[in-house]
Amino acid sequence: MLVTWRYRLRNGLMEKFDPRARWIFSLAFLFAVTLFWDARFLAFFFIIAFAWYFSSRAKWKETRRGWYLIGFILFMMIVINTIITGGGAGGVVPPGGHLVWAQGGTIPLVGWQFHFGLTWERLWFAICQLLRIGAISAIFLIIPYTMDPRVYGVTFRGLGLPDRFAYSMELAFRYVPTLARDFGTTLDAQRARGYEIERVKGGIIKQIVRIAPLIVPVTMNSILTGEDVTNAMDLRCFGTRPRTWLQKLTFHWQDYALIAFSIILLGGGIITLYAFHLGNFWVPEFWLRLAGG
Amino acid sequence: MLKKSWKFGTREVVYAAIGAALYAVLSLATNWIQLPSAGNVSFRPAIVIPMFFGVVFGPIVGFIAGFLGNIISDLIAGYGFWFWWDLGNGVIGLVPGLIAVWMTTYNSFKDIVWGEVFSTIGVLVGMGIASISEMWVSGADMSTVIFANYLPAIIPDLINGLILLPILMIAYAAIVKRSGR
Repeated sequence: MLVTWRYRLRNGLMEKFDPRARWIFSLAFLFAVTLFWDARFLAFFFIIAFAWYFSSRAKWKETRRGWYLIGFILFMMIVINTIITGGGAGGVVPPGGHLVWAQGGTIPLVGWQFHFGLTWERLWFAICQLLRIGAISAIFLIIPYTMDPRVYGVTFRGLGLPDRFAYSMELAFRYVPTLARDFGTTLDAQRARGYEIERVKGGIIKQIVRIAPLIVPVTMNSILTGEDVTNAMDLRCFGTRPRTWLQKLTFHWQDYALIAFSIILLGGGIITLYAFHLGNFWVPEFWLRLAGG
Repeated sequence: MLKKSWKFGTREVVYAAIGAALYAVLSLATNWIQLPSAGNVSFRPAIVIPMFFGVVFGPIVGFIAGFLGNIISDLIAGYGFWFWWDLGNGVIGLVPGLIAVWMTTYNSFKDIVWGEVFSTIGVLVGMGIASISEMWVSGADMSTVIFANYLPAIIPDLINGLILLPILMIAYAAIVKRSGR
């Protein structure tokens, strides 16, 4: 089994920033964008998100798998949320509104009448959802492609996480290739004994039980290895002093600028919403004119 | 030596890392398996890993195995970061970890039943947190959250977890007995 990280150096603008500053920006962006349902504000965040995304220089060919997943989730949410259920859209869209098919419809042949509760306001809400989820996705989808897996431990330590948690993270990243190799070896060994993972016959329970000869040996073997690693670490007095890290992270002027921008984005968002009462769900006039209202 | 629920010493650091890496690798390795007649439902037998690591090594190990394992799996698959779902996966490992101190043999009927009960609660709570967060992030309403997020997440997780957890617990009991650890 081949396990490869999505990261490679692309020399994009995004990579000029310290990973800690990038996390602060990403989280501030997430909290800021979720304050708003006004499409004008969401469009502003959408532009920032995609400017950030494109500064990574990641190609569509590399990221398309992630976008397909997001596209599927978006489709499900919008179709179910706005078109099928006709619910309250999380209490954002006020009840009532302008019906898209005010007259209802008739099913041919059987002649049954149906009434469809889809409104123009809910359709506008779907556009807002598209902007909001699209912006959040652009910010978070790009992280694996642009952040070196070797710096996750030190980054989270730098963000204030306990030493042991950060080290656990570092260790987990290093274990992945080893465990992937163990999994491959186990799969080959089981196949040599006549095990057929590709067989799709049988019900759900049979299929799950068929996975056990793969999961059990890999898990138990890694637990036994873990005992040896624990002993080795204890012998080296792990945890008696604060750790030092191989990679050293240093803030530069551009990182301070990004952190300041993140604070302004979040702080500005909070002030705009709570002090000026701007940014709640809003439907433009031209959209309602389409509805004939 | 008495077990402590919330201890996070060297052993826990190592097993949290192993649990996370295992969860990530096994999730990716079994990605292609589909539920019969339900092609869109993600089928993840590896969900048993955070549950099992929680039951055996405690709540913090279980949490990190689920939380970090989901992050690493998404990193490798290229799906990005989805904190609320990572958090939900962490809770799936944390809740069974709450009974780790009461586990004695791992293969007795009582231990297995408690493991299953707490794993079920973990899935219901963890996926509940992750799904409800979609109301805040995506503006989905409750019916969407339940039918598009919650049910498709809990059903395969419960089926996989409840079948595979006893198998892993019995295998672990054999290892404990043989190695005297």
